[in-house]
Amino acid sequence: MEALKQKAKELLQKGDVKAVLGYAVGTGNVRRPHFARTPEQVDRLVLDEKCTQNLATYLTKHEVKHLGKVAVVALPATQRALLQLVAERQLRDDAICLLAMDGTEVKVLPSGAAVEQHLALKTDAMPTADKAMIEKLMAMTREQRWAYWQQELSRCVKCYACRNSCPMCYCEHCTMDCNRPQWVPVASHALGNLEYHMVRAMHLAGRCVECGECGRACPVGIPVHLLTFFAEESTAKQFGQRAGHSTKLDYALSTFKPDDKETFIR
Amino acid sequence: MSRIGVFTCHCGENIGATVDCAKVAEMCKHVPGVAHSVDYKYMCSDPGQRMMQEAIKEHNLDGVVVAACSPRMHEPTFRRAVSNAGVNPYMCEMANLREHCSWVHEKNDATTQKAADLIRVLVEKIKHNTPLYPIKVPVTKTAMVVGGGVAGIQVALDIANGGHKVILVEKSPSIGGHMSQLSETFPTLDCSQCILTPRMVEAAQHPNITLMTYSEVEKVDGFIGNFKVTVRKKARKLDEKLCTGCGLCIQKCPNKKISDEFNEGLGTRTAIYVPFPQAVPNRPVIDTLNCTFYKTGKCKVCEKVCPTNAIRFEQEDELVTIDIGAIVLATGFKLMKTEAFPEYGYGKHKDIIDGMQFERLASASGPTAGVMKRPSDGKEPETVVFIACSGSRDRSKGVPYCSKVCCMYTAKHAMLYKHKVHSGKAYVFYMDIRAAGKDYDEFVRRAIEEDDVKYIRGRVSKIYEEDGKLIVKGADTLMGGEPVEIKADMVVLATAVQSNDRSEELAQTLHVSYDTYGFFAEAHPKLRPVETNTGGIFLAGACQAPRDIPESVAQASAAASKVLGLFSQDQLTREPIVAVVNRQAGPTYSYCVGCFLCQTACPYQAIEQEQILARNGEVIKTIARINPGLCQGCGTCVATCRTKAIDLQGFSNEQLYAEIMTL
Ligand SMILES: Cc1cc2nc3c(=O)[nH]c(=O)nc-3n(C[C@H](O)[C@H](O)[C@H](O)COP(=O)(O)OP(=O)(O)OC[C@H]3O[C@@H](n4cnc5c(N)ncnc54)[C@H](O)[C@@H]3O)c2cc1C
Ligand code: SF4
Ligand code: SF4
Ligand code: SF4
Ligand code: SF4
Repeated sequence: MEALKQKAKELLQKGDVKAVLGYAVGTGNVRRPHFARTPEQVDRLVLDEKCTQNLATYLTKHEVKHLGKVAVVALPATQRALLQLVAERQLRDDAICLLAMDGTEVKVLPSGAAVEQHLALKTDAMPTADKAMIEKLMAMTREQRWAYWQQELSRCVKCYACRNSCPMCYCEHCTMDCNRPQWVPVASHALGNLEYHMVRAMHLAGRCVECGECGRACPVGIPVHLLTFFAEESTAKQFGQRAGHSTKLDYALSTFKPDDKETFIR
Repeated sequence: MSRIGVFTCHCGENIGATVDCAKVAEMCKHVPGVAHSVDYKYMCSDPGQRMMQEAIKEHNLDGVVVAACSPRMHEPTFRRAVSNAGVNPYMCEMANLREHCSWVHEKNDATTQKAADLIRVLVEKIKHNTPLYPIKVPVTKTAMVVGGGVAGIQVALDIANGGHKVILVEKSPSIGGHMSQLSETFPTLDCSQCILTPRMVEAAQHPNITLMTYSEVEKVDGFIGNFKVTVRKKARKLDEKLCTGCGLCIQKCPNKKISDEFNEGLGTRTAIYVPFPQAVPNRPVIDTLNCTFYKTGKCKVCEKVCPTNAIRFEQEDELVTIDIGAIVLATGFKLMKTEAFPEYGYGKHKDIIDGMQFERLASASGPTAGVMKRPSDGKEPETVVFIACSGSRDRSKGVPYCSKVCCMYTAKHAMLYKHKVHSGKAYVFYMDIRAAGKDYDEFVRRAIEEDDVKYIRGRVSKIYEEDGKLIVKGADTLMGGEPVEIKADMVVLATAVQSNDRSEELAQTLHVSYDTYGFFAEAHPKLRPVETNTGGIFLAGACQAPRDIPESVAQASAAASKVLGLFSQDQLTREPIVAVVNRQAGPTYSYCVGCFLCQTACPYQAIEQEQILARNGEVIKTIARINPGLCQGCGTCVATCRTKAIDLQGFSNEQLYAEIMTL
């Protein structure tokens, strides 16, 4: 922790970055994002197992972009999100400055290439609980699974917290906000909810970095991240392409490779 | 309020017998926005069109729905008619009452109701239509022909004689293709080289033709009239301008035991070589895989003996990008190898050969100078068995289609053999004799009747070696399946004609379709046999399906006439059905967030980057821009874009939504 604060202060003092984005303690002892713009504010930074939020989400916001270069305390999922954001041209490679923990040591990752290298050292498998839940769902019959999701999604209040917390949902004008024409109804009724979540899963297939933020953000506790996790895993299995592993764009859904299996056609 | 006219056509009996057209016209009168609705027997006829034009003037219509046949059939007709009456042609839509209704349903009320619904949908669409204007694009009047076989040569000559520049790209060191390997040709038995080589020379010397041999197409961008083709000129390791083709290098090359492709492995060649003496251009290439210098770093004998110092060991492949208006594919075929047949010994018997090997044995310029000698020991074969349909029409082990040329060349082979070995015996195993063509059946009859070739209808189940003979075991199905056994000295398999190696890759590079077997697909099997589905790309010869020479040449001339037709215009008019990226006032400027996931989705490379600049020149936002010259209006980008920043003109989100919501 001290090493992290030390590095953060150094970066701020040298003027390398305008702010350090990390975690601080919020009300009720939760961990919330914290922008430290002065060395003093750095002292409030914490980093423990309660820090889970994917901070990459903030980097594409106008307000944050206007701050100038920001160093980010980055969990592996945040790192993946950053790579994908560079690939999708939402961040410039030279805007990257990540503070990553490697054991007790703090590493500064100053570029996409450095992040790629650092991530390659790590294996970050999907949390076992999520994996088990996906397996459980896939063991169900189609009808049971359908019933499960209808039940779950009927509770959705269309607050869009899942969308807004997602680092890859950076569009300024989301399809859901599109009203000429209004393809997806705004009201939170069964059909509209289902449509929203199907569209969201499709939009994240091949792009989801599997941080699970959407599921954590949901105020009514719908495990919506399982939908995007599964979409991402299917894409990886079908096309061998994964989001968040490179700064080079390799989007399965808009590219064609002669050795694509195309099993979904036959 | 729109003033839309609805014109329901009976299409004679086609629609009228199943759909109550008068009722449809009546029902449509009550659809909001419809100002006029009538039905008529033949809307596309002259009186029909005139009626429409008068109605447009009389009722001051601003949009038209023609409820008739498929838009593929008559959309241009009706759009022209509407335009002549002063309404923008893209304010005219067609409801397909024929293919989508009368042809697929029974005559009843529901069918009539569906017809009315199909019209209603388009009335709603037209309310959201905007006038569109055709896009004009220039035409580069240079053609590229890919593949220099007989088909490619013919295309090139025809276009060049029509007065336009042609670039002929051939992947091997010489043009000529398979025909240059043939000995004599059916059905006339004239010498293949004698009729082909003058054409090859003519192509090489034609002022309008540029030969690019030992070259391959690497990349194709652009669209009809405006392709940009990148060609890889493989390094010959030779300065072609200095080389005089004297052949000293070939004589002196110490590496002489390389299997010769032109002679189908029946002869040998050197590491620096020309494929055959009549090659065009008559310039050698160094086969770097087999050259001693590239393997060991020592030799360079050719460099030493070359009188003009033309050898260039350091030469690298060169990439050239050329502006091209039309492309003709003429990349030919390949022959299935004898290795493919387990029942015939997997190609391990030297005396079981394929048809092309036989051509080389029979050719005066071949490895035996045209004397019949079997490959294993050079003896004259006394009995030869020819097996037609080896791999063709064989669903289980080969290809299901008929290779078309084998019946004919097998008859030719048997005849040539008999002409060379008078005492010899020739047997042909066949399934059916397919000899449809001018003088073709007569040709086969001649083999049977005059040259005493024994035709046995049946399959060969097995061939094995015994005491220096090949035992051919088969059955004669005309004799009730009676077993037949022939002791042969040589067996010739008429192996299947297949699409060329890497043809699918080439098709993908050019964005043309291909069939299950890798043959390039024509746009319409009957009405557009030499066009592909991609505008400006045409087909000739055996790259499309197995073909003989007369057919290949005829098709080549057909493709050339298509190209000449295209080149007769200075500008092409294109449909304005193209995609556009949304633009609006700041601070958003566009729904596009510049992720460029659409860029890789576009099959026509039509999506570019555009910077939105502030007054002081600062980049505010980088967004996608669609080049209307390149866009083909496929709509893939529209589906890809998550933020719905792209709309297809004429098929916008609003138009489609309006259509769906009326139902
Ligand atoms: C054994 C045998 C005997 C035959 N005898 C007769 C006969 O007697 N009479 C008759 O009418 N027909 C005969 N035929 C059929 C005849 O060979 C074909 O009709 C004819 O060769 C087809 O010409 P083509 O130009 O379409 O293809 P090809 O002759 O195959 O020429 C294609 C050319 O394209 C080149 N090429 C391939 N791929 C590329 C690429 N990617 N880039 C650039 N260049 C490329 C090849 O190198 C080749 O030069 C015979 C066929 C066989 C197999
Ligand atoms: S969809 Fe959920 S899990 Fe995937 S990147 Fe977005 S927030 Fe993370
Ligand atoms: S966060 Fe939960 S409630 Fe809110 S929109 Fe997403 S799934 Fe629905
Ligand atoms: S048009 Fe859509 S898909 Fe293309 S760059 Fe813009 S936002 Fe991305
Ligand atoms: S519609 Fe879109 S994807 Fe299709 S050709 Fe045009 S720009 Fe490309």
